[in-house]
Amino acid sequence: MSLLLQGTATDWVFSVRALLPVVLLALTGLVVFGINSLRPDGRDNKLLALTSIAGTLSALGVAIWYLLAGTGQPTHGGAISLFSGAIIVDGLGLFFTAIFTSVATLVIAASYDYFETDANPASFYSLLLLATTAMGLMAVSNSLATVFVSLEMASLPSYALVAYLKDNRGSVEAGLKYFLIGAVSSAVLAFGISLVYAATGSLLLPDIAAQIGSVGDLNGVLGVGIVMVAGGVAFKTASVPFHFWAPEAYEGAPAPVSAFLSSASKAAGFAVGFRVFATAFQPALDIGIDWGLLFGILAVVTMVLGNFAAATQTEVKRMLAYSSIGHAGYALIGLAAITAGASATNATVMGAAMAHLFVYGFMNTGAFLFIAMVERWGVGRTFEDYAGLAERAPMASLAMAVFMFSLAGLPLFGGFLSKYVLFLGAINAGFWWLAAVGAVTSALSLFYYSRVVKALWLEDATTDLDAIGDAPTGLYAAVIVAGVVTVLLLPGFGPVIETAEAAAAALFA
Amino acid sequence: MSWLAIGALALVGIAIPLAMIVVSALLRPAVPESGKKTTYESGEIPTGSGRVQLNIQYYMVALLFVVFDIETVMVFPWAVMYRSALEAGVPLSQALLPLLAFIGILVVGLVWAWRVGAVQWTRSIRAATQKTERQNT
Amino acid sequence: MVPPEYYLVLSAAIFCIGLFGILTRRNALYFLMSAELMLNAAVINLVAFSFQWGNLTGQTFALFVIALAAAEVAVGIGIVLVLYRNFGEIDVLNADSMRW
Repeated sequence: MSLLLQGTATDWVFSVRALLPVVLLALTGLVVFGINSLRPDGRDNKLLALTSIAGTLSALGVAIWYLLAGTGQPTHGGAISLFSGAIIVDGLGLFFTAIFTSVATLVIAASYDYFETDANPASFYSLLLLATTAMGLMAVSNSLATVFVSLEMASLPSYALVAYLKDNRGSVEAGLKYFLIGAVSSAVLAFGISLVYAATGSLLLPDIAAQIGSVGDLNGVLGVGIVMVAGGVAFKTASVPFHFWAPEAYEGAPAPVSAFLSSASKAAGFAVGFRVFATAFQPALDIGIDWGLLFGILAVVTMVLGNFAAATQTEVKRMLAYSSIGHAGYALIGLAAITAGASATNATVMGAAMAHLFVYGFMNTGAFLFIAMVERWGVGRTFEDYAGLAERAPMASLAMAVFMFSLAGLPLFGGFLSKYVLFLGAINAGFWWLAAVGAVTSALSLFYYSRVVKALWLEDATTDLDAIGDAPTGLYAAVIVAGVVTVLLLPGFGPVIETAEAAAAALFA
Repeated sequence: MSWLAIGALALVGIAIPLAMIVVSALLRPAVPESGKKTTYESGEIPTGSGRVQLNIQYYMVALLFVVFDIETVMVFPWAVMYRSALEAGVPLSQALLPLLAFIGILVVGLVWAWRVGAVQWTRSIRAATQKTERQNT
Repeated sequence: MVPPEYYLVLSAAIFCIGLFGILTRRNALYFLMSAELMLNAAVINLVAFSFQWGNLTGQTFALFVIALAAAEVAVGIGIVLVLYRNFGEIDVLNADSMRW
């Protein structure tokens, strides 16, 4: 029985301090439950929203503080390993935690207005906080066991969030489809993990890497297992072949939830993908399991499919959903290109993908929150319905224009630099064809993104826009903050990419 | 050779019920009557159809039960190693505290579900009227 | 002792039965059962190879998979219930107010 007690004894205070951002998020979720338990009939929307924002902001603050202080980074004694190596706190985990908590803060601020009339907003806030907690855990998981548990912990609240509007047929249908595909892909992931365990005898990522060289005739089993784990990552990041849920779920879900899923949930999937494939499955390349090629093909198909489908949409929200699939394709380049070249090249391209996800977190969340505002105004969903909105809401429309051009990668905003560095890194790693497809599809994306801007600013209103009330404070503030950050990320991109590349380099050291 | 025994066991396992059915079919007298075809309800004369729609609240309670019930499997590994951990000199703060924290989180969830009324048995109007109808007849 | 390949074949067969059920069944409840079957295939592998490798990692993880499967079903049934309330049936293909 001493098997279970291997490793050093865990010091609780130390573990809690190292995992402070995640612990703060979990505690805030429990506090929200507590407030609602004390006063089950009082709606307390304001109190609950403020508590939740305080929680996510303090977690964000701690994550940034740790990043700046160098916690878990090579300059300060390297990654902190906790719980017999199942959890590892390092730059990658903190970087992604910063993304999740930023997105969650914006989404909660927006939800305060969006769910103003909801009967019981406490369940919404707690689901959102617990999902963010699980994403924070995904980013620090160093064992396939914690990967699976935290991934499920993030998925289960997400299903409920998508189906949150219980009397809205679109929301329920979206929740069902998200759940069905999620259930299948989690089963595929579990089976993949069991096959990897069958071949290597361990679930800890470094131990798997050490064992891969000696799997012998279980080579095929390991290969199938790796492909299935890649399938689980593809679901979470909404990439081909598990992307079917994304357009439905993003369109049917309440818009703040779409923002949360398409930004934070996608980033969480990539956090897992980067760590698992860079740490555990790197040696598999030497025994003929070329998962780099697999991700390369998936990246091409995802970029092409997402961008072409987005170009044919008539509804703005659905267009953004497909564009979100396209952006998953760009980030997949970072996963495909770490298979070739030296550690330095790998770190550059992976860091670029992480920086792109960071910038994407703000511009995509902002775009979906603008749609949340439009939904709340009761304006329709198509491009024509958006015509002339700039006259009624110039500031928000300006922010939306910033998001659109930044998503397209025009060299005025943060989205340009992150894409540029990513494609350059791919070329340096020898994957010029991925960069080429990315550049072509980016050019195509300018077409459909500019349709939104054209409708907002250049066309005359086709519908009566007088019904629009005054701007809801929280929602408006979230959109403006996201817009300001997207603009500021152009001059401020340097520190982001440096942090990301340092965090990625630690993985390949 | 151990597989041979399993095969023999399977054969016997199939043969015994088959033999019982065949033998009883040969021996028993055939007396068809309509009373044999009705649903058996402890000697009562059956009323209504077999498809009863249950109150939705059964499902709510059942769902909560499934979730909280299955959490006990998480306690199994802890229970297996608890004694040997204490004997190996692991302090109580590391052997017992994690489980207490786990149970504490579950309690917060259960209290919340209780307070917002997920386990409360609301009185449905339809059930109440059916009850009064039955009492009046 | 039963050779480990047998367990791989058994679990692969159960996984494929589950996958077949998911691809052919339209009732949401059958779908849930099939997904459970696929998860159980993973559990068989984990327990079998935990014995094979002589460490307890697989068995402990199998417990977590079982618990998560139950939680997943609870959320799934909840969604199926609101689906029934909104659409009056639980056929997964008939909920198509959006394009699939």
